[in-house]
Amino acid sequence: MHISEGVLSGSILITGWAGTCAGLAVGLKKTDMNKITRTALLSSGFFLASLVNIKVGPSSTHLSFLAPMGLILGWGVFPAMFVALLLQALLFHFGGLLVLGANNFIMGVSSLSVYLLFGKLIRNSDSKILVMALAFISGALSIILAAFLAGVFLTLSDSNFLTAAKLVVIAHLPLALIEGLVTAFMIGWLKKSAPEFLL
Amino acid sequence: MLTKILFTLVVLVSAASESFAHGTGFRTSELRAISLEFFYSTGEKMSYREAKVFSPKDSKFAIQSGRTDEAGRFAFTPDSAGEWRVIVRDEEGHQCEAVINISEEWLTNRENKENDKVITAQSDSPEGIELIIRALLGVSLIFNLAAIIRIRRAAHAH
Repeated sequence: MHISEGVLSGSILITGWAGTCAGLAVGLKKTDMNKITRTALLSSGFFLASLVNIKVGPSSTHLSFLAPMGLILGWGVFPAMFVALLLQALLFHFGGLLVLGANNFIMGVSSLSVYLLFGKLIRNSDSKILVMALAFISGALSIILAAFLAGVFLTLSDSNFLTAAKLVVIAHLPLALIEGLVTAFMIGWLKKSAPEFLL
Repeated sequence: MLTKILFTLVVLVSAASESFAHGTGFRTSELRAISLEFFYSTGEKMSYREAKVFSPKDSKFAIQSGRTDEAGRFAFTPDSAGEWRVIVRDEEGHQCEAVINISEEWLTNRENKENDKVITAQSDSPEGIELIIRALLGVSLIFNLAAIIRIRRAAHAH
């Protein structure tokens, strides 16, 4: 999911940073500092999730928890992800410091989108099956959105938009299914055991 | 007349030899090759990925390009001393850059196996116990940051 250093063009890197700075500004304003421990917990989960490798056929991928992050933190996903991505770049060499803005923007927007689309529906729904179904869609959609945005960023840096975007989206379809299942069970459990966690 | 015929013959022979110049051939190169293996942090090989080689003389235009093989291998033959870069990338935005310092001695002394130390296996990402330590450090930093924010807020409230 991380775009490596040196792949994106200068103008796309600046665009990514501009989007991330805007997201961080709103995110920090909207984050309830009394619930900062919750933000730290999810940021840690996101930071560690990249280390969990899952074999999908001949290749392997790793979890990202984009949808649970969005559904629990809302706009607070931007600062939570920023810290995690910064530490991933410094400690694991995933992504990089220059490309951090673009990576944070791609993942933050995807995570926030599913919160804005399904957050309220999940919070207000009483049906366990509906909650799990919506959470599954959120999990899968967040990955597809992130892959699509990554494809757009890559193509705007290079060329051949449709081919690159299509390839990236197709490559992430197995992860989308896995994230959908993980999100469905995670949000289903939270809705039952700790509904106050969902924004 | 004889001069004209001779001249025509010379022109024809040169034209014929020019056309034969497009033949092909091969021989074993005297240069030593460097073979690298590229992989993801998950351990998966970077198979059939786009690879580019940049020489010390020109860091902008690739001197060689191609694809890695099934095992993620890519080989090239440096012909001058300096910093050579091999960049392998996929369509998903992952990129690995290998920087190899070639010395004059490495280029000229083919027998000395010690020179092979120029090519050191380097993993871009930490592994094993180092990875665990870094993961724990990262989690610790995140919670310490949260604790600092909480303490500052509490102090501000008083």
